[in-house]
Amino acid sequence: MKATVVEGIEIGTQLPPLAARFTRERLVRYAGAATDFNPIHYSEHFARQVGLPGVIAQGMLTMGTALRVVTNWVGDPGRVTSYFVRFTRPVTVPDDADGVEVQFSASVVAIEGSLVTIGIEAICDNQKVLGAARAEVDLGVRVPHRDHEVRDAPRVP
Amino acid sequence: MAITEAHAGRRYPACDPYQVSAAKIAEFAAALGDDNPRYRGESPIAPPTFATVISAPALAQLFGDPELELSLDRVVHADQRFSFIRPLRTGDVVIAALTIDKVRLRTGSEMVSATVNISSLDDEAICSSHATFLHARKTPA
Repeated sequence: MKATVVEGIEIGTQLPPLAARFTRERLVRYAGAATDFNPIHYSEHFARQVGLPGVIAQGMLTMGTALRVVTNWVGDPGRVTSYFVRFTRPVTVPDDADGVEVQFSASVVAIEGSLVTIGIEAICDNQKVLGAARAEVDLGVRVPHRDHEVRDAPRVP
Repeated sequence: MAITEAHAGRRYPACDPYQVSAAKIAEFAAALGDDNPRYRGESPIAPPTFATVISAPALAQLFGDPELELSLDRVVHADQRFSFIRPLRTGDVVIAALTIDKVRLRTGSEMVSATVNISSLDDEAICSSHATFLHARKTPA
């Protein structure tokens, strides 16, 4: 994992995107890892009984996967200081080998000192599944960028 | 009686201490398909959303509180925030304690927001999980 590059970060800087495939297997793995055993995440008949179109992914699986865009970029996940998402739409996962693909993208939306706020988008079937998703990371050094006085900004060695 | 706005401020006793282990971190990172090297090796830290594992028993207290008459079958997770003072690390022994922040009664449903504070046994605040749930009231049969 490469070190965080502080130079050149501007509002609007795009992070490398990520596509993730959610299959029933992944949902079961996540259920066990997260101890979320709500049957809507593995049982078709239960999900339909409560009015869902089918088995849906855990919102927290989508949230956790979306943050990989940020932690891949920043390198050290310990730099994440806050993370918020709104769950706007369920991700339905079919019972087949392919599952469903969710595409994640992110860009810098605010910079203040060493704190960088990243806006994240998550798209499945051409629809947003997360709303107002924001992660804040502390890069540990003041980020020089156009909107700031850059003369005294420290440099990453 | 069901949940009301007057339940805002209700605090539940801290859950049993939870020890963060390298094995559980590895399992959680694998479930996210995340190969970040900080989740492996000598002294792994936990993925930020690992806090959900520690919050789970605290949320179970909320949804299991008979006075509130909440049912998980009728709950939708509306939003989620995590705030970190520092990452969770292998070997941390932490406790989770839940407080109901706000209850808003709406037509046919309640919006319940709650915070789970995660701290060390020495009372060092580590992180918090704040969630809003939409709970549909039972429709009369």
